[in-house]
Amino acid sequence: MRGEALFGYAMILPSLLIVMLFTAGPILASIGLSFYSWDVISPPRFTGLDNYEQLAADQTVLHSFAVTLGLAVSIVVLEILIGLGLALLVQQRRNTFVRATFRTVFYLPLLASASSVAIVMGYMFDQKFGVINYYLGLLGIPNVPWLTSDFGATATIVIIAVWQQVGFAFVLFVAALSTMPQDVLEAATIDGAGPGHTFLFVKLPMISPTILFVAVVGIISAMQLFDQPYVMTKGGPGYSTTTTVLLIYQTAFQNLQFGYGSTISVLLLLVLIVLTAMQFFGARKLVFYQ
Amino acid sequence: MRLVSGSNGISRRTLLKVGSAAAGVGALGALGGLARPALASSTSATITFAYFGDPKQATSMQASLLPLVKKADQNADLKVVGYNGTDWNDFFAKILTQIAAGAPPDIVGVATEGVQLMAGKDLAIPLDDYVKRDMSELKEMFDDVDPILIEGLMYDGHLFELPVNFNAGNMFYSTKLFKQAGLERPPENWTMDDFHGYAKKIGALPDVNAFDWIVRLWGSWTSFMYANGGNLLEEQRFDNGDWLWGAAYPGNDAVKTRKGGWKWGAPTANSAPTVEALQLMIDLRKEGLAPSPDVGGGGTLQGLFASNRIGMTIGGGFWAGGLHNAGMTPDSFDVQYFPKWKEQKHLFGVVGNAILKSSKNQDLAWEVVKQLSAADAFDLQFPGNATTPVRRSLMTAERYKSTGPEHWNVFYDTLTKFPNTTPIPAPPYYNALANALNRRTTEAVASGNAKSALDGLQKDLEAAAKV
Repeated sequence: MRGEALFGYAMILPSLLIVMLFTAGPILASIGLSFYSWDVISPPRFTGLDNYEQLAADQTVLHSFAVTLGLAVSIVVLEILIGLGLALLVQQRRNTFVRATFRTVFYLPLLASASSVAIVMGYMFDQKFGVINYYLGLLGIPNVPWLTSDFGATATIVIIAVWQQVGFAFVLFVAALSTMPQDVLEAATIDGAGPGHTFLFVKLPMISPTILFVAVVGIISAMQLFDQPYVMTKGGPGYSTTTTVLLIYQTAFQNLQFGYGSTISVLLLLVLIVLTAMQFFGARKLVFYQ
Repeated sequence: MRLVSGSNGISRRTLLKVGSAAAGVGALGALGGLARPALASSTSATITFAYFGDPKQATSMQASLLPLVKKADQNADLKVVGYNGTDWNDFFAKILTQIAAGAPPDIVGVATEGVQLMAGKDLAIPLDDYVKRDMSELKEMFDDVDPILIEGLMYDGHLFELPVNFNAGNMFYSTKLFKQAGLERPPENWTMDDFHGYAKKIGALPDVNAFDWIVRLWGSWTSFMYANGGNLLEEQRFDNGDWLWGAAYPGNDAVKTRKGGWKWGAPTANSAPTVEALQLMIDLRKEGLAPSPDVGGGGTLQGLFASNRIGMTIGGGFWAGGLHNAGMTPDSFDVQYFPKWKEQKHLFGVVGNAILKSSKNQDLAWEVVKQLSAADAFDLQFPGNATTPVRRSLMTAERYKSTGPEHWNVFYDTLTKFPNTTPIPAPPYYNALANALNRRTTEAVASGNAKSALDGLQKDLEAAAKV
């Protein structure tokens, strides 16, 4: 029995080492560095809780969290709604070729590099020569400042993030709907439930674990949004699209305040832990497990 | 060289090694065991030269420049590395990371944006002793370079780079659109009112922006700020640069006003002339004469200009090559001095090569730096009028024959005709300044309120100056 346990530990050791080296290591390093002042060039200087005191009074950081949270909630809600809607529509198709085609098409954007997508989308949404404004112009709509107004820039980032990420939610919802027990659905039909009632009171509860999973993963991912604002808006106009990770990058790598940048990243870690815990706590009441 | 703090015992390199994977951060306590000398000694005679630009050109540039390096030392070798980015702050972030990682280049091509960053952070070495030693050899170069450019590469009285290229902020215009609007070439002493009048006439053409600009420190609304007598920071100069002027420019009256480099003082970002300049840009947009600007290096702007969708924009000598490559014929665009507002003051940025303090081959690097500033090295580094040479002798009609513009002399004459031409305000905290400037400019354009945005910029700069 002991030998079996040792064998088990040996099997997970490579993964454990990789996690320690590439996940736990940087996290611990960030926590450690948050107590230092370091500009990369000079030796690091221990400053105790100074960075945390600065953080407590830094309105820019607070604002970046508000921006990020707003973007994250918008993105995740839209991802779930659109992903689920598309999954329901595709699931109704009986032709397997059509279903496979849609699954591939909706999943493809997820495989593209976020930076590359942001560059192309930046051109498409450009106020002066973007193809989006060109077609809106044909409809008589004047040029929209997609990337140069607060609302426009925020909306553009949400649209692009949702477009790229919705395939992930879609595939999971398709899988959840496909594996739904047919006898339950047939029982609902025999009991006289219409499509709406079946969806709300049978399908939705049964795919609620998938919704929770999509929400948790989506929030964690969206709270680390970086590529789109970095490439398309540089966090502007003003601070309107300055996400927390973008602020960390600029603070650490451009302003050379690596200690303070780490302090912000520690706060982001705590916020993510709290948000995830809240989601799981709320899930106890809302998620239906068979 | 070991950069280890006495009390903490952690080298910056160790910190970077352990924790830089995701957030570029370091490690603590337990990492002491991993510490090793910050920079291993090198016996290699390979000089690494880093530049800001397309990395794909590194190989061809390396092949072109290698003979120059061999001229300096037959046994020496050269490695050229290119780093791209939206603007200079991206480049500096990458160079600093390379330095921190213990793999610094020997020579870095640094523009005005980073001269004080490199010097102020003690990353680059002053070239004073080398210059004094080789003055007889360098005299030919100094005779060929306007002292304004040399002063732009000084900090606290020391010379940190030998110059290679520069760009002053002039006004480019589309000759085709000017013709369509019934306009002649503006006179040299044109004013801001003239500019506005020109803009209105060009703006009346269909599908054309009379003026366009980008958000950055060089050649942005900052050109208007300079012409209006404003600046983001107080303009001061270091006193102790006489060692150079007397030896390099004996008997030259132009150096009487030159000192020891620009010293950027307290932030003045919300001063009246600065606010007025940014508000002018907002007003141009409201009048439909200029669109909302992009943040970046200007590639998009060149594309729009080349497709005759922009009447006027701020550009330097590098625009000649850019517009030519974008398909413009030499006579389809031209350039004039920036218009006078309160004064006809221009901004400029100059690029030179600095030797990093961490270089193990500083003497050889110096020889290479001299070669890189030689007249015959310019076109090897910047083919096709990709920028303006600092050497007056290279400014010829022949050079601009294939690219244009017709009045190419404006590029260099800006320095001589307007001795008040001033470098962009780039203090040691340039990166933070650039970020803040970009943010607050886009905020001002989006909100339409220059004063409020520049009040914010003032606070940002005050905070950045303290770090």
